[in-house]
Amino acid sequence: MRISLTRSATLMMFLVLIWGGLPAYGQVARLQLNNLEKLSKKAAEVVDVTLDGPMLKLASKFLNEDEDSEAAEVKELVKGLKGIYVKSFEFDKEGEYSEEDVEAIRAQLKGPGWTRIVGFTSKREHENTEVYMMVPGSGESIEGMAIIDAEPKELTVVNIIGPIDLDKLSALEGHMGVPKLDLEKGKAGQKPASGKPPAKEQE
Amino acid sequence: MRPLDEELRSALRRQEPPAGFVERVMARLAAQAAPRAGWAQVARAFLGWPRLRWAAVGAVACLVMAIGVVQYQRGQRAQGEMAKAQLKQALHIASSKLNQARKRVQEIDRRSPQS
Repeated sequence: MRISLTRSATLMMFLVLIWGGLPAYGQVARLQLNNLEKLSKKAAEVVDVTLDGPMLKLASKFLNEDEDSEAAEVKELVKGLKGIYVKSFEFDKEGEYSEEDVEAIRAQLKGPGWTRIVGFTSKREHENTEVYMMVPGSGESIEGMAIIDAEPKELTVVNIIGPIDLDKLSALEGHMGVPKLDLEKGKAGQKPASGKPPAKEQE
Repeated sequence: MRPLDEELRSALRRQEPPAGFVERVMARLAAQAAPRAGWAQVARAFLGWPRLRWAAVGAVACLVMAIGVVQYQRGQRAQGEMAKAQLKQALHIASSKLNQARKRVQEIDRRSPQS
């Protein structure tokens, strides 16, 4: 009888651990951006987008009504995504956010699964751009991505949960009624940054 | 007596009314005196019939439900349009920042003597 009770208790603990661990596994690519909320008061312009599963589905549903090719591209891109979170702050003057604000985000990206694929730091221009990918153990699929772009008067953090095609995401710029910025495309023979290039850093 | 007197007496002599005369007169008076029914009374009389009462309740319920559905759809549409705009904005920012990172990597590649 005692053995049976012990087994039951062990089984229950095992199930509780699994049950408790499942949501944590699913949310592992989600960054906590709450520490940036305080910057809203200081910023001249704020973009705060929080689109979780149901809202993404709703947005996709309404994309169906747009019959242009861009809508189809966006719909294809967001298929399978679980969440898109963007916080972007533009300030009138420099020094409105601290390095600690950025470090709090960066610290989360040091966790298991995250890999930095691009790291650009310019001390001259006080700019820092980092792109991270969440690639779990198997390395076959991308579970999420994060971009941190810190400039003297601007701070942007992007967090996308789910499988994302970087080539398609990159190609979106210039669509959706927004003019394409003057960005150079890859030279012939150069591999685009959609794969997994080594992190580059300029000090 | 003069003939005129005789004629008058004959014309004005007492006569009994025909049978049912009083009842007919009273019935006609009652009908004329009855006030005209107002719309409220008509509606009350109409709804006094149980089936029609339930039909009216059903119609009102359907109307309320239809209004509710339309309001819900309007809300959903507004929410959906907002979500779509947010999605496009978020993807535009993500795309722009990704391309910015790409450009910087390419600049470093170009400046690097190995490449």
